[in-house]
Amino acid sequence: MSAAPALSASPPAAGSGRLARRIGGRVAGLLVVALAWEGLVLLLGIRPFYLPRLSAVLAAILATPGAYAAGFLRTFAETLVGFVTGGAFGVAVAVAFLRLRSLREMVFPLFVVSQTIPVIAFGALVVLWFGNTLIAKAVIAFYLTFFPVTVNALIGLESVDPRQIALMRSFGASPRQILLRLQLPSALPQTFVALRLAASLSLVGAIVGEWFGDTTGLGVLLLQAMYTENVVAIWAALLVSALLGTGFYAAVAFLERRLVFWGAEQ
Amino acid sequence: MLRHQDDAPAPAPEPAAPLIELRGIDKTFGTVKALSGLSARVGRGEFVTVVGPSGCGKSTLFNIVAGLEEPDPGGALRFEGRSCHAADLLGRVSFMPQRDLLLPWRNVIDNAILALEIEGRPRKEARAEAMRMLPEFGLAGFEAQYPHQLSGGMRQRVALMRTFLFERDLMLLDEPFGALDALTRALMQRWLLDVWQRHRRTILFITHDVDEAIFLGDRVLVMTARPGALKLEQRIDLPRPRRPDLVTAPEFIRLKRTLLEAIEEESLKSFQVAQENAR
Ligand SMILES: Nc1ncnc2c1ncn2[C@@H]1O[C@H](COP(=O)(O)OP(=O)(O)OP(=O)(O)O)[C@@H](O)[C@H]1O
Ligand SMILES: [Mg+2]
Repeated sequence: MSAAPALSASPPAAGSGRLARRIGGRVAGLLVVALAWEGLVLLLGIRPFYLPRLSAVLAAILATPGAYAAGFLRTFAETLVGFVTGGAFGVAVAVAFLRLRSLREMVFPLFVVSQTIPVIAFGALVVLWFGNTLIAKAVIAFYLTFFPVTVNALIGLESVDPRQIALMRSFGASPRQILLRLQLPSALPQTFVALRLAASLSLVGAIVGEWFGDTTGLGVLLLQAMYTENVVAIWAALLVSALLGTGFYAAVAFLERRLVFWGAEQ
Repeated sequence: MLRHQDDAPAPAPEPAAPLIELRGIDKTFGTVKALSGLSARVGRGEFVTVVGPSGCGKSTLFNIVAGLEEPDPGGALRFEGRSCHAADLLGRVSFMPQRDLLLPWRNVIDNAILALEIEGRPRKEARAEAMRMLPEFGLAGFEAQYPHQLSGGMRQRVALMRTFLFERDLMLLDEPFGALDALTRALMQRWLLDVWQRHRRTILFITHDVDEAIFLGDRVLVMTARPGALKLEQRIDLPRPRRPDLVTAPEFIRLKRTLLEAIEEESLKSFQVAQENAR
């Protein structure tokens, strides 16, 4: 029994140590890649048209940091809005499907069909509907997010141990209490699998949306660089997109680790 | 002292007004008849243990009394002297299922207060009540631990605490110590008797262990092979508080022999049925 405080105290300490080591490892890895990029381009004499040096790409970003920062923020906002609304909608639909079998049988096939429409075709339509706005891009990100979340959340909700539900019922729990205290938390691990996937997908949606016309955003920077055949600018836009994509994914993964701390028990 | 179900239709001298009473209960799942004509009564404050061959319908009996399953029409169910449907018992009986079913995202305290929360008690108040109960359940200092950090015995005690905190007159415990090693099990049995004597609840307790059934119970109900009915009802007049060395007392051995005989007969029956089905 005296082991209890020690037990509870040791994991966070070990956790922070592990975290520091992991971050150190990541930074070291990035440095190695950066050095290899710079060194190999110089060593092998690769023409800048195929692969500019990293230093040149970074210099291009630092030359007009405002444009890249604005693009980053704009695309991030579109991605975030689409991701959050898509995730919430996905979970809400999963709950509705769980409760109403007939609704599920009616609507689910429509969802599947909607997802087979290429996102480019859908993007053209959305921009027509919503104009050249942040909402239009967020809608595309939403469209790519909600479906995987619906599917996975539903799988999670349905895999709740029926004995667990029986126990809650024996306590006199209402369906709402069972949903909030048992089913939704149980579905969290499975839902996060989809949310991690959706983190990347929603960024794709936002960038594709920007290709249909906008004045700021990473997709715009990418398109402009392509038209002017400015290779360094393409790489610069790519690098900033990678930063956004990785950062966003890492944030979702972090949230997952915090919320689904109990791991693969059961 | 020893009474078969068939030859005891006369008003049996029950200790107190029965808290719950089942008469002629049947339960069918599709083509499987789980219970057939089961009758039993449990008096207020009694500790009744239930034994029977595996698959004879013990958990089904509990599910009915917990309100989770409705018996087939025809039987009679009475709770606190009033006839009722099984569903009326939802929220009125504290039920501990065969597995601990702790929620992995809740720590010990929050698992223990689950039922109280559902009742609508403020979380803070429920936690305070549970904190006071921790030492009694051997869990002092463990309130912030999560289920995956606990041993099997401790998890079981958390589940028991959750059941005790949900204060209802009738408690249903389905093999609460089934997964424990012999030593822990013996400790838990004595501990349960101790707690029961202080809280004075009515307990219906399923077990596979005849020693456990005798050691704990005021009465032991032996069920027949499936479809389950009452095979034998054995009063245990051993004095309380019961000490660990009771299991070697001649009176204990005599009771054990009677019960084992009845159980073995039924186990053999279900075994033979299984063999015939296999042929
Ligand atoms: N929901 C259900 N649907 C179909 N059959 C069921 C259901 N619940 C129980 N049964 C069947 O009823 C019979 C009795 O099951 P029950 O779980 O009550 O037995 P038990 O006495 O508790 O067994 P054990 O000692 O192994 O726990 C079994 O044959 C089982 O297959
Ligand atoms: Mg059982």
